[in-house]
Amino acid sequence: MGVPRYIAAALKWVDLRPEVDPLAGTVRHDTRTSGLSLADAAALEWALRLGESWQLPVAAITAGPPEARAVLRDAAGFGPTRLVHVAADRDAPSDAIARALAPLLAGAAVVCCGDYSADRGSGSVPAFLAHHLQAAQALGLTSLAPEHPGSLVAQRRLDGGRRERLQVSAPAVISVEPGAAQLRRAPLSGLLAAGRAAVETAAADQAPEYGSRVHLLRTTSYRPRPKVLAPPRDQLPRARLLALTGALSERMPPRVVRAAPEQAADQLIGYLTDNGYLG
Amino acid sequence: MAESADVVVAGAGPAGAAAALVAARAGLRVVLVERGPFPGSKNMYGGVIYPRVLDTLLPRWWEEVPVQRWVTRRATMVMTGTKALTVEFRGEDWDAPPYNGATAYRADFDSWLAGKAADAGAELVCSTTVTGLLRDGTGRVTGVRTDRPDGDIRASLVIAGDGVNSFLAKEAGLYEDWSVTHFTVGVKEVLALPREVLEDRFNLTGDEGLDIEILGGTQGIPGGGFLYTNLDTIAVGVVLSLAGLRDSGKRPEDIIAALKDHPAIAPLVRGGELKEYSAHTIPEGGMDGMPHLAADGMLVAGDAAHLCLASGIWLEGVNFAIGSGALAGETAIEAIGSGDTSAAALSGYRRRLENSFVLANHRKLRGAHKLILGKRAQTVYPELACGIAQRVFTVTDPQPKAGLRRWVHDERKRGGVRLRDIVKDGWVGWRTFG
Amino acid sequence: MNQDVAPLPGSHYDGLSFEDRMATVEFRVAARPHITVDSDVCRSCTTKACVHACPAQLFVPTSDGGVLFNYEQCFECGTCYMVCNTEGALTWSYPEGGHGVVFRRS
Repeated sequence: MGVPRYIAAALKWVDLRPEVDPLAGTVRHDTRTSGLSLADAAALEWALRLGESWQLPVAAITAGPPEARAVLRDAAGFGPTRLVHVAADRDAPSDAIARALAPLLAGAAVVCCGDYSADRGSGSVPAFLAHHLQAAQALGLTSLAPEHPGSLVAQRRLDGGRRERLQVSAPAVISVEPGAAQLRRAPLSGLLAAGRAAVETAAADQAPEYGSRVHLLRTTSYRPRPKVLAPPRDQLPRARLLALTGALSERMPPRVVRAAPEQAADQLIGYLTDNGYLG
Repeated sequence: MAESADVVVAGAGPAGAAAALVAARAGLRVVLVERGPFPGSKNMYGGVIYPRVLDTLLPRWWEEVPVQRWVTRRATMVMTGTKALTVEFRGEDWDAPPYNGATAYRADFDSWLAGKAADAGAELVCSTTVTGLLRDGTGRVTGVRTDRPDGDIRASLVIAGDGVNSFLAKEAGLYEDWSVTHFTVGVKEVLALPREVLEDRFNLTGDEGLDIEILGGTQGIPGGGFLYTNLDTIAVGVVLSLAGLRDSGKRPEDIIAALKDHPAIAPLVRGGELKEYSAHTIPEGGMDGMPHLAADGMLVAGDAAHLCLASGIWLEGVNFAIGSGALAGETAIEAIGSGDTSAAALSGYRRRLENSFVLANHRKLRGAHKLILGKRAQTVYPELACGIAQRVFTVTDPQPKAGLRRWVHDERKRGGVRLRDIVKDGWVGWRTFG
Repeated sequence: MNQDVAPLPGSHYDGLSFEDRMATVEFRVAARPHITVDSDVCRSCTTKACVHACPAQLFVPTSDGGVLFNYEQCFECGTCYMVCNTEGALTWSYPEGGHGVVFRRS
C-alpha cells in the first residue's frame, strides 16, 4: 500500500443521552450530549498506548455527520498525526460504515474500536471492518498487553464467568470494553492545538459489497420497556381506578386532520404506523 | 511549559463570554476556560434573560439568540396558604424587536454567547477546571492553574467569571465579609407539557411567554417562587434564604411540592412530566456582600462579583453578568494597552460599573433584599393583601358593604399589623424602588 | 367534567421517587470525589443542616452520629458548605473538568 504502518483509533460519535418519546418511539438527539462512549474512549487510550509501545504514529478516524468531528478533536488533544472524517448518516448500518472506513485504514497495524452499540445491538462495525481489511479480529477485549511490535496478548469474557486469552498479530481489528482502560486527560497545550488541527475529509469511497445472503429489509421503531409504577394509594376504589387509567386527567390533545379524504386517510394510517399500531 | 495569553477568563458563562468577546475583538489573545463539557452545562437560573445589554455588543442579537419564548406577560403573585392575589401586565410591544425579556435554557444561551466569543477569536477550552491562581512573589496574579496536565496558563490579566462559589475571588482574598446570609438557593423543576396544552393553559400564542414571580409561597422560609413558560416545558421553582432553609429543617424539593400543590399553582402545572431538576446558590446580598472587584492582575465579574438582583420587583442576573463581563473586557484592553494591570490601574473597572446600569441598579436596590426577605413582606403583607382583596370582592348581601377603610382596618387588626410598620416599610420600599 | 370528583389523579399521584427525580439529570461522574466530609467533626454537630438542605440529598446521617456523603449526583450548587456551621467538617471544590452535573434545560 505504500502507507507507513500506524495505529488507528476508529471512533464512533454517539449520543450518550438520547431522548426517546415514550409514545411515538421517536429518538431525539443532541450534539452536546454526543461524543465518545466509555468504550470508544478506552479504544483511543489503547491506540495511544500501542502507538507509544511500538513507536508508531496514531491516526483517528470517524464516520458520521459533520458534528462527528468532535470526537476527532478529542483525539487531537493527544496529538495524533492524522484526523480523518468520513461523511455518513448517523444511523447508517454497520456494514456501510465498515465499507466506508476500510479503504482508509489499509495501512493500519491495529485498528482500535470501542465495543459499543448505540442501538443496544452487538456493535458489529469492528467485525465487518476486519472482514473488509482481511485482518485478524479480537473483539470485546477486557485487557490488553502489547508484546513486540505487531503482537499483543488480550483477554476477553466468555459465558459463565470464563475468560479466554488471545495472541493477536497485526494487521488486526480489536474492540475493547469500557473497563479496558481509562482515557488519560489531554494536556492543555494539546487541547489548545486541537482547536486548530486540520481534519481531512474523505469521500466515502466504499469497498465493494460482498455477497451477503442476508439483507436488512426494515428496522421497526424502538419500543420502550414498560415502567413499573407504584400502586395508587387512594382509599376509594374509584379514585384508584382513575389514577390508574389517567381518566379525567389531561393528556395529549387530539390533533384534527384537515385534508381531502384520501390524504386524511394516508395521514391517519401514517400516524398509526409511525407509532407502532399498524404494520 | 506554561501556555500564555493576554487574558485568561475563568468560566464561559455570560460574564466570562462577554469579557472574552470584548477582549478578543480588540485583538488580544484570550483563553476562555470552561469546566463543563459545554458552556451553560453547569448553569441554572430563575428563568428570564433581559438581553438589551447585548444591543451594542451584538447588534440585532434577537435574530439569532436561542430563546424559548419572549416574555409578553409578566405577573407578580402574592400568596398565603390558600389564597393568591395576582397583578399582571401584558404588553404586545414585548413581542417584537428589541423585545424585553426572554426565557431560554442556559445550555443554549450560554453556548451561543461563548460561541460568539470564539468567533471573535477567543480560544474556548471546555472540560477544564481552573483550580487556582498563579502568583508571583509580590502576590500579584500572573495566571491560572488548571486540572489539565501541563495546565498552567500565564496571562497579563485574569478575569474571574467563575460563578457564585468563585474560588478564585476567595483565593485572591477579595471577599472581606463572606456570610451565608448573603446567599439564597434556587431550586427548580422543568416540566414538560405538550405545546398545545401549554399555550391553551397559559393563553399564549406563537412565541409569547409568561413569567410569574411569587411572594409568600415558601413555607415561611424567606424567599420567593417563580413559574415561567418555555416552548414545551414550564419551569417552577423557589428561591430560599440559605440561613432560613438551614434553620427550617425542611427539604427544598418539599417546598417546591407544596408550591405546586397550592390551589393557584396546581392547575398550571398539572400533568407536567419532570424533565430536569436543578439547584444552584445565588448571591443575594447585593452591595452588602460584594467583594473587591479587582486585585493585582485580576478582575471579577458576574455572580462571582455578586452582581445579581434576585429579590423584589426585578429579578435579574444574566444581564448584569454580561454587562460586567463586557466592562471587564474593556478594562482589560485599556490596562494591557498601557502595560499596567495592577489593582490601581484596574480601578477603571469599578468606575465603569458605577457609570453603567450594573452598579447603578445595585446601589438603587441596596436595601431591597432585606425588605423583601423580611418577615413582614414574606408572610404578614401577603395575608393582609389577600385578606383585603377577598373582602373587596366578596358580596356580603344582605349586609351592606363596610367599605375599604373598615376592611383594611379589620384585616390589619386580624393580622396584628402595626400601622407604624406599614408606614416604615412603605417609606423604605418607596425609597428603594421609587 | 364531573366536579364532585376528588382532586385530579395526576396532581398527587405522579409516582416520582427521589431517585426518579435525580434520574432526570445527567451526571458525568468523576473518579475522584470533590466533596469530603470529616465525620469526626460531624459527630459533634447537632444541627447537621447539610442533611436536609442539600437539594440532591447527598448527605445521610449515620447511626453513630456521623455523616455519610455521596458526590456522584451533586449539582455543584454550594448549599452544603454554606449551611455548614462547623469549621473543617466539609471541604468542597469543583469536580475534574468535563465531569459532574450537565444541565440541558435549566
